[in-house]
Amino acid sequence: MSTEFAMQIDPSYELIGARNVRVEIGGKLILDEINLKIGVGERVAIVGANGAGKTSLLRALSGTLPVASGEVILCTEPLGGLSRATIARSIAVVGADLMLPFATRADELVALGRLPHGRGPSGPTAHDRERAAAALERVGASHLAARDVRTLSAGEKQLIAIALGLAQETPILALDEPTVHLDLKHRVEIADLLVSLADRARTVVAIFHEIDMVRQLFPRVILMKSGRIVADGSPESVLTAARIADAWGIPQERAARL
Amino acid sequence: MTSPRLLVGGALLLAGVAVLAIGFGSVAIAPGDVISILARQLFGVGEAAQGAGATSIVMELRLPRILAAILVGAALAVAGGAFQSLLRNPLADPYVLGTSSGAALGAAIAILLPIGGVAWELGGVQLAAFLGALASVGLVWRVAGIGSGEERIASVLLVGYAVASLLAAALSLVMLASGANLRAIFSFLLGGLDGATWPRLAAAALPLIAATTLLALRGRALAGFLLGDEAAQHLGVDVQRERRIAVALASLATAAAVALAGLIGFVGLVVPHLVRLAVGPDPRAVLPLSAIGGALLLLLADTIARSIGVPVGVITALIGAPFLLWLLHRARTGYAL
Repeated sequence: MSTEFAMQIDPSYELIGARNVRVEIGGKLILDEINLKIGVGERVAIVGANGAGKTSLLRALSGTLPVASGEVILCTEPLGGLSRATIARSIAVVGADLMLPFATRADELVALGRLPHGRGPSGPTAHDRERAAAALERVGASHLAARDVRTLSAGEKQLIAIALGLAQETPILALDEPTVHLDLKHRVEIADLLVSLADRARTVVAIFHEIDMVRQLFPRVILMKSGRIVADGSPESVLTAARIADAWGIPQERAARL
Repeated sequence: MTSPRLLVGGALLLAGVAVLAIGFGSVAIAPGDVISILARQLFGVGEAAQGAGATSIVMELRLPRILAAILVGAALAVAGGAFQSLLRNPLADPYVLGTSSGAALGAAIAILLPIGGVAWELGGVQLAAFLGALASVGLVWRVAGIGSGEERIASVLLVGYAVASLLAAALSLVMLASGANLRAIFSFLLGGLDGATWPRLAAAALPLIAATTLLALRGRALAGFLLGDEAAQHLGVDVQRERRIAVALASLATAAAVALAGLIGFVGLVVPHLVRLAVGPDPRAVLPLSAIGGALLLLLADTIARSIGVPVGVITALIGAPFLLWLLHRARTGYAL
């Protein structure tokens, strides 16, 4: 609760920070020289070619990928010293795909977002169910509450996944390719939803492939290449033809038309 | 919301079935008499209205067996439900994964070792079963690459099957080499509660009750695993730690069950699915209700088994195997379970 208080009084509150973060997996360099600072209510898109380190960056910032050196900051505190439950109350990460081994109602699934807020063996409380229902309503998926998530379409599943993240009630909502595999209608729907979700109480960080959409909807863009951040700023300054050509390895005259 | 009520209802149903099962047998004892014998012998309540024969049948022959069925059924079902949640695998259970076979091999070696004494029989066998269960889980875990993010449902099951087959063969060899007769091997492999006497029950009761209860109460951590290891971490679960705890408890529960009753399959597979059909997949509801359901299923199966004189493993297989086939058929046709 001190988090919310600090966020309200201090606009420079450091929600996410990275200082010289370096990540290695099996001796292979995955991320290097990562420096960034994300404040309250920002809307940040992470872009880059496949293998540029976008997902690894999200994993390092949410503590599921250990850093070799440097420091990650979450809500002004060093992430290394935080418990998993504390991290889960600060950042919700919506994965790229929902795969479930058992038949699961959408409202049951979204209620799992309440896990970090409770203790002990008992199931979701009335308050948890209420928050889960509110999250479903927020993404416009209340009508799907009683459906088995496994029978939903890709677009519907993505809405449920975002509702699961919202039910966690965290100051940060991070998403890994929330519009992948979606048709245009659902892509627009999800993008508009993400824009509306970012406010004074919630920062949205998302990995995207659609540069045109990022240009229109995200005030801040982080461009990655080979495990490094090569540009960080407004879409106009980051998504130039030269940078796009370099990051994705396409001819500059072709990149200019993107 | 509904699960506490289901839990209480299930426990009452179980108590009722247990009373009927105690009365059932070659010497039939009325439920009322069973209750008054139990009340007098266990709590010192009421008058001695029944004969010494009936009292002795209830207290010495049937009660330990019924309690063993309840504890073993609960342990296997909770272990199965936990393995299914942990591995995100609807076909996982201690039997399929080879955990039971590992425990059986450990227990058999301990029984056949030329070490006598009550302490060995009560503690050593349990310990050897636990070590065997852990070793087989460890082997399946390592070969199938569980926890690496690379595991696939089919490979976990295939590896489990291979390990279970290997251990079952080793079990047969150990018993043949030791000179134990084939009938003993046969009945151990099929599982049974015939040997559930008070001393053996007493030896197994503590690990059975402790592991089953602790595991049934870890549903919150296991709930996170429904979406995978990575998502579990994002939901605040310490994945490495919780996986270790759950595997250790499930192995201990399985080992204690096997040491007491041999290899009884399908209880751990079938019961959690039946519970999920009723209350959904959240392990916080599934595991405690599976304890009740497993106890009920094994109690009923054992009562049928003793009335027609076959090992209880045959009855659970007769119920469980068709269910497994149905499950596989639905998985193949893509229909959601």
